[in-house]
Amino acid sequence: MEILISATLGIVFGVGIHQMLRRNVIRSAIGLVLISNSVNLLLLHCGAYRGLVAAYTTVSGQQSDPLPQALVLTAIVIGMGGFSFVLAILYVFAVRDRTGDMARLSQLRH
Amino acid sequence: MTPILVAIPLLLCLGGALCAALHAHGGVSRRASVVVWGWILAGWSAAATGVLAWIGWGPGGVLESGVIARASWSWVPAWDLCFSLRVDGLGLLMGLLVCGVGSLVMGYAGHYFSKKAGAWRFLLYMMLFQVSMLGVVLAGDLLTLFIFWELTSITSFLLIAYDTRDPKARRGALKALVVTGGGGVALFIGLLVIAWMVGGTDLDLVLSSGELVRGHDLYGVALGLVALGAFTKSAQVPFQGWLPDGMTAPTPASAYLHSATMVKAGVFLLARLHPALGHTAEWFWLLTSIGLVTMLHGGITGLRARDLKALLAASTIGQLGALTMLVGQGTATSFKALTVGLLAHGMYKSALFMVVGIVDHETGTRDLGRLGGLARAMPATLAIAILAGLSMAGLPPLFGYLAKDALVVSAAQASGVPSWATWAIVGSVVVAGAMIAAQAGILVWDTFLARPRSERAEDGVHPHDPPWGMLIGPGVPAVLGIIGAVVALPTASHLAASAGSAAFGSPVDVTLKFWKGFDATKALGVIAMVGALVVFLARRPLGRLIPRPPEVLFPGVMGAVDLAAYAVTRLQNGQLHRYLLVMFAAMAGLIVWRGLPPWPGLDRAGWEAPWPVLRVAGCVLAAGSALAVVFLKRDLFAILALGASGLGVSMLFLIQPAPDVALVMIVADVLTMVILVLALLRVPAWFRRQADRLDQVESPWAFRRDGVVAVLAGAGFAFLALFLTLDHPRESAVSPWYLQHSKTAVSASDVVAGILVDFRALDTLIEITVFALAGAGVYSLLRHASPAAGDRETIAARDTGSLLHTPLLRMLAQGILPLAIAVAATHIMYGHAQPGDGFTAGVILCLTVAFRHVVLGYERSRRSKPWLRPLRLVGAGLGLAIASATIAFLVNGSFFSHVNFGESLGIPLPRDVALTTSLLFDAAIAVAVMGGGTLVINTLSGPKGDAAVGEGGHAWKS
Repeated sequence: MEILISATLGIVFGVGIHQMLRRNVIRSAIGLVLISNSVNLLLLHCGAYRGLVAAYTTVSGQQSDPLPQALVLTAIVIGMGGFSFVLAILYVFAVRDRTGDMARLSQLRH
Repeated sequence: MTPILVAIPLLLCLGGALCAALHAHGGVSRRASVVVWGWILAGWSAAATGVLAWIGWGPGGVLESGVIARASWSWVPAWDLCFSLRVDGLGLLMGLLVCGVGSLVMGYAGHYFSKKAGAWRFLLYMMLFQVSMLGVVLAGDLLTLFIFWELTSITSFLLIAYDTRDPKARRGALKALVVTGGGGVALFIGLLVIAWMVGGTDLDLVLSSGELVRGHDLYGVALGLVALGAFTKSAQVPFQGWLPDGMTAPTPASAYLHSATMVKAGVFLLARLHPALGHTAEWFWLLTSIGLVTMLHGGITGLRARDLKALLAASTIGQLGALTMLVGQGTATSFKALTVGLLAHGMYKSALFMVVGIVDHETGTRDLGRLGGLARAMPATLAIAILAGLSMAGLPPLFGYLAKDALVVSAAQASGVPSWATWAIVGSVVVAGAMIAAQAGILVWDTFLARPRSERAEDGVHPHDPPWGMLIGPGVPAVLGIIGAVVALPTASHLAASAGSAAFGSPVDVTLKFWKGFDATKALGVIAMVGALVVFLARRPLGRLIPRPPEVLFPGVMGAVDLAAYAVTRLQNGQLHRYLLVMFAAMAGLIVWRGLPPWPGLDRAGWEAPWPVLRVAGCVLAAGSALAVVFLKRDLFAILALGASGLGVSMLFLIQPAPDVALVMIVADVLTMVILVLALLRVPAWFRRQADRLDQVESPWAFRRDGVVAVLAGAGFAFLALFLTLDHPRESAVSPWYLQHSKTAVSASDVVAGILVDFRALDTLIEITVFALAGAGVYSLLRHASPAAGDRETIAARDTGSLLHTPLLRMLAQGILPLAIAVAATHIMYGHAQPGDGFTAGVILCLTVAFRHVVLGYERSRRSKPWLRPLRLVGAGLGLAIASATIAFLVNGSFFSHVNFGESLGIPLPRDVALTTSLLFDAAIAVAVMGGGTLVINTLSGPKGDAAVGEGGHAWKS
């Protein structure tokens, strides 16, 4: 199962990189979300041990590691906020330079 | 002496700062003019001065009984760190100067800015500076001192750049910040070295460990770094350049910061640390030589100044050099001269600066070439200028004379140095004294008494004395210069003696007399006066002879920064390919360099796991939809595939099992898609067409090249993931602890929620703040930056409402918000016992708002729920979070600790619901996340820019 999960992670991450390198701004944004998703999933799998039940004190059995869960949970929400911000920046640049071509709006200076 | 008394002056100044900010409020500024406000603030400072005087002269006070008043509050107990205040003679002298001059300058500043709107900003900065400077002189701990020290640099920056539209002001401010801030870094390291040597940051400990510090191997390093901090702050050569450029600050700020107080901070610091660092040959030579050069530099460059403020700046540099030299000499006589000099200079220089401000205010110029003959028009100002000018020149019966006399005596008595050095010191003091006295003459004579050299009448300016209120500021110190010298001499001597003793480390005798009989030093004084007369008469040719001082330091530093920027932008050229290449290469390099931990072995990879079918399905959904993104031609479909991939990822989260994360992932994934689609709807048609075309014009070669990069990156990532997932199980130091204590310590059976809301609540607070800030960033970018960049509404009524006009949907949209609030409330209430938490609740509410906007149309949706204003929600959420933490602090004495009200008050509650601070915090998270998210959604779905808001009829406030 580890091999399957790792392969999935690799595919999502690889597609994310590929999309990020497109010249179409919208594709770049999509790539960013994919990369963020794959990294979150990786972080969750980096827990110290594998769990069989959720990390609740009311259940018995091998609980999953709660620490990466807490970290990833906030990372998802922050990632969404950061993504909206990046999107807004890209939008303003695109409007200013009158182009949706990443290759042409890649320069920050006027 | 109660400890709290020591803090009162600081608190009074802080209160003054808050009071200054009140004037920003329209209601206040309409009722009270800037002039009135200036005097109110002067009252706050005067009260602080009064309390300081009480600390000094009151019963059991610092001067009365010779004790040191201390106050200390524990700050970081784990590091044994305290916020400490300490008033001894030196602190008292400086504190009185800071608050006393501060009070006068604030009153003066009100008049100076009487006609300017928005002057509250200036008054606020001034009061904040006063707090910082008072903190520096009253600090009883090295770190407390350093923090206030840096605050003075920052407030000075703000004051110099007060007129933000003036490029010269901005440049001057930047220069001051770079020089003094750079010195601050050196000082910080130096103070840490000292703290490390003596084993603590408490000032008493440091001052009593002089032997240890001087004998230490790192003594030279500590001395050099501390001296660097002091020299930059006190404008010593070669760091003097920032002070003349800082004269772009409004004159009240120059009078206060750049003559009486801040520039003295360096000299003060050296005097403060003298018992620990002084009494060595290195100390003597470093400070004396730099001080001497600075003194001469100030004396010479002042003669070529044509601007009154530049002239005063030069003489200030000269005086600061003299003071540094006196600290360096390190004898009882020199510390007597130092403290008397501090007092005298603080009084006459602030008075002269304020006089220059009046002249500038009345005539509109500070150029000596255009001034002259103001005596008849401004007699009162002239009287003050003469009093202060005579004190600056060092003539009896003024306080400045006593200071200069003490300086000459001290220079002649330098002990334990070769005779050529004594000669050099005495000679330089006489020469510099003559030049500074001549500068005083130039200032007073050429401004008021000399015949005007150009006709001013044609300018239509008729200068006259300012209102008497404006004369109080310069008048009081000028008059004190003669009262202090004639009537209140014993009081002044007492204060100076106490200050000198504190700096010297053993008693300093200060008896001030105007006439002790004629001796060699009196002869030197006479020589200096004659020299001053000669220089004054020859001022014009001399001024032309003196070259402009070359400046190397600051341009050099800035050039280096530019060079570094050039080098960096060659590497970071804005091309993503390049960045990725560098990152991957660096990662590969790291792996090659450090090597990998042992490979866990594939035999640990099993295929047995609970719910295998679901796992495979999740993987296929996540990976398959991601791959589909590559091959879908339309951007909208790609976004939908992206959403599907995210749902696959949340499925994997759920099977982990991590139900809380899965819940958040599902709603966040949907919201991300909504945001993307809204952004796509917003872009102009030409943009969409171009984007579509771009996908086709991109050469197949580039597509494949990126494919290779992506496959390599993906393979590397997969390998890393495999490595990490096979490496199970590992020891975890914290997770078992959380699992064990979550229920007992914070009554959370959901351990993840316990970590988020209780154990690591401060992290969460920062995270929701960041999220809210991102929302605010989107808002300001799209509402302000994007219209400014030329983004206009292309479709007249871009209202999605008309597209989705089915009755069922509309009904749903009308009623969905209460429903969503109920769901969110449930998530919050059961957050500690069940999956779901404040984050999920907040994102669900955001989705509801987005749904309403899409179905009802933005205008209608906002109109029917006018209370839904995201910026207020953000404020309420963050406020509630801090309030819940503060309640916990009040109850338990610890910020963000867990308080169970339901249990302690005996309120009956349903099962699994607990009325706790965590519940409050969870609600705060939900509100803040809803605010931030709604801000993004509103901005994306609302009209473009402010102009368009007006056309729509309604300007919805966020």
